[in-house]
Amino acid sequence: MSPPRPLLDPEVLARLGTLKLRVRSITEGILSGLHRSPHHGQSVEFAEHKEYAPGDDVRRIDWKAYGKFDKYYVKQFEQETNLRCHLVVDSSGSMGWKGRPERLTKLEYGAALAASLAWLLVRQADAAGLLLCAGEVVKAIPPRASASHLQPIVEALAAATAAGPTRLDAALDWLVEHAPRRSAVVVISDLFDGDQGLLKRLAQLSRRGHDVAIFHLLDPAELEFPFEEPILFTSMEDGRQVEAVGREVKKGYLALMTEWLAGLKREAAEADLDYALCRTDGPLDEVLLPFLARRERGAA
Amino acid sequence: MSLGFLDPALLWGLGAAALPLLIHLFFRRRPRPLAFPAFEFVLRARRQTERRLKLRRILLFLARTLALAAVALALARPRAERPGVAAAVAAGPAATVILLDGSGSMTYRLGGETLFERGRREALAALTRLGPEEPVAVLLCDGGIPAAVAPSFDRAAARQALADARPAALYADLTACLAAAAQGLGQAPGQERLGKRIVVVTDLTAMAWRLDAPPPRVPGPDGRPIRPEVEVVDVARGAALPNLAVTGLAAEPDAAVGPRGYRITATVLNAGAERAAEVSLTLRASGDSSPPVRAFLDLPPGGSVRKTFSHAFAAGGPVLLTAALPADSLALDDQRSLSLQVPREVRALLVDGAPSPIKLRDEAWFVEAALGSAASPVRPTLIDAEALPSADLRGFDVVLLLNVRSVGTRGADLLAFVQGGGGLFISMGDQVDPDLANRELAGLLPLQLHLVKTAASRLVRIDELHPALAVFTGEAREGLSGARFTRYMLTRPAGRGEPPAVLAAFDDGAPALVEARRGKGRVLLYTSTVDRDWTDWPLRTSYLPAMQRFAGWLSGELDGGRSFAAVIDARESDTRRIEPAALTAWLGGSATARLDGPGGAAGAGPGVPLWSILLALALALFLAESALLA
Repeated sequence: MSPPRPLLDPEVLARLGTLKLRVRSITEGILSGLHRSPHHGQSVEFAEHKEYAPGDDVRRIDWKAYGKFDKYYVKQFEQETNLRCHLVVDSSGSMGWKGRPERLTKLEYGAALAASLAWLLVRQADAAGLLLCAGEVVKAIPPRASASHLQPIVEALAAATAAGPTRLDAALDWLVEHAPRRSAVVVISDLFDGDQGLLKRLAQLSRRGHDVAIFHLLDPAELEFPFEEPILFTSMEDGRQVEAVGREVKKGYLALMTEWLAGLKREAAEADLDYALCRTDGPLDEVLLPFLARRERGAA
Repeated sequence: MSLGFLDPALLWGLGAAALPLLIHLFFRRRPRPLAFPAFEFVLRARRQTERRLKLRRILLFLARTLALAAVALALARPRAERPGVAAAVAAGPAATVILLDGSGSMTYRLGGETLFERGRREALAALTRLGPEEPVAVLLCDGGIPAAVAPSFDRAAARQALADARPAALYADLTACLAAAAQGLGQAPGQERLGKRIVVVTDLTAMAWRLDAPPPRVPGPDGRPIRPEVEVVDVARGAALPNLAVTGLAAEPDAAVGPRGYRITATVLNAGAERAAEVSLTLRASGDSSPPVRAFLDLPPGGSVRKTFSHAFAAGGPVLLTAALPADSLALDDQRSLSLQVPREVRALLVDGAPSPIKLRDEAWFVEAALGSAASPVRPTLIDAEALPSADLRGFDVVLLLNVRSVGTRGADLLAFVQGGGGLFISMGDQVDPDLANRELAGLLPLQLHLVKTAASRLVRIDELHPALAVFTGEAREGLSGARFTRYMLTRPAGRGEPPAVLAAFDDGAPALVEARRGKGRVLLYTSTVDRDWTDWPLRTSYLPAMQRFAGWLSGELDGGRSFAAVIDARESDTRRIEPAALTAWLGGSATARLDGPGGAAGAGPGVPLWSILLALALALFLAESALLA
């Protein structure tokens, strides 16, 4: 077992003020653990022309076509990148919670995770896109492989605020509509979605050729329920309230939680989804490295 | 069953039972608000456990409330009591007298033990239940009226008194004993402010109570008499006490049966509520060779039957008659004994001072006929007065001088005969010379003879207590007092010796029958005639028994037996029980009295202390509360 890397400790990351610094710290830690790039030497083949639109790389304008048609066209290539990855980050109200002040919120943890993934993907010439979702798609950034594309992703993640209900199916609808090609979908959420068929939707996505991975983020307090005293629990998404004595409901809560997690794991396995439960007090490399290793094995 | 309290003032402590509610209302912890992502899980977990938790909270609240209430109630020292007790029991401590019925009926065996043993146990239990601040005295009602004893705090003495108590075969007047107990309650100095309580432990037989007497009273706090609180503990627990008893045994001489013949009457009581058929009654006599006599009786419920036996004893002397029934629960009255002195044969020498060939005119004919009758124990021997000088007096128990003019030289012999234990009967008549008789019988005559008086007269001032005349009571007295006399000898005081006893006199006060003791013997002077010359008494029915009893008395046969038989008082055999309502009403109703037992107006047993039970309950509730919290 490798020694703990302090820079990847969430509490240390929490003390880092900006997401950029967190990403840098994470990726440096990750890269120091990688021996080689998993992707290199792929070929590119012309596929079609696409009318230029702002944001397209001007270096890929086909000047010959401009000469013929007096319009700007951009060349599209097959296997343009190693991977097109959509990072679906849940920014609902429940993601803004943390069990202790010194911890990261689930959204902060998920943002760091998503940004780090984006950086790693782009660094390997993969395309990374972002979908921020809270009841609806709040922000959608299509996948790009350019390094400059990281900036809007990181800014969007840094500016994300936790609010609204958890409705990941809106993000999935968006993906079905805007990601016709085979791609990777990384869902980062606490999965407190009122829709019980979320995994079924993800399974459908998987059957359409997408490679779906789920980072299930939960605060340790949500897993362990360390409350003893009377508490007026309030829903973070719709304001409902219930009063309960922590020690009285703890047993039932933990049983329900265990049953839920087991169900998620079972359904994910049945649908061939890559599922990982992430405690927000766990080092990020322990989340990322296994994921990247699985991706490498999958590519091989 | 109701609830009473020794310290009702402490019931204010029941307010402590409201503490859990007050704490819940005013000191409840305010919940900390917390926005929580997994809200749905908390909600579902709470729904799942809500019913169980609600029940647990209710149980916790109840356990705490009841535990505090139990402690508060225990401090007030409650006890379970029968209906009506609430009004009867004085609040606070009470001076107490425990009155234990020790009468004969308490020897009744019920459930393998006597009622007295049960009663002793109940009394000890009542003693144990008393609070330390309650003085107590123990009275045993075992016949007679016990002396009033003031209650004290000497529990050891009270326990010892109960341990030493034994039942008697006597009649116990519980009404009188209750009055004595009440008197004792009023005598204790310094106990004026205490309540007054009498615990009567009895079998509730009706004969023990006299409800026509005034009920017991004790001095109240202000000195005025009030009714004490009375707890009557029914040791029979309401059970009927069926009993067959020989309640009477009497024997009367019966001449028709023969010499030493007796008519023996046994009275048998059925105190049960059922008819008793074919009850065997056996009569046996100790010292008599005759076999026991057996009879079979049918006894109505609550009634008695007299059975008469006729029996002639073979010989005289003391006899113990016993009438016996089959054994039942009250053994003391299953048999009854009677000590009887069967007269021995009396040898009497009749000295005829005026013999006549015509029997009706013969001086001794009536006497001889009376003494020699078939059933008479007297064997008379008749001689003329002329034969007296040669008569041997040693072979006789009694000498009767009937109208004898002179005893000649036998006066000294007669004196020696009497002083040696013989009996001498002297009757008057026309042959008697007062001066000569005074001289010849100077040491024997109870009174000096004076002169003959002719006047119609009757016997008065008859000493019915004298053994010789004891049979002439009631209607039989008429047979004696109806005799008419026309002539009798007046007398004068003898002037020396022991004063004579006049057993009967004539209308004018002249002595008719005079007795005197001379040495070991007796002399009886009769101042009229034993034939019809001066009186018609020989024709009266009283003449025959009188003459036989005179002979018996003079010979010492009527002195009575010296043996005796101890028997239960017949009233104790009547085990029929008193009506509970009547007894309760007599004791002042439910306000001051309670009857303990199924047959009573109330339940069984005096108040049962509950504080120990409540403390145990409180402890159990605290343990349950801890278990619920765990």
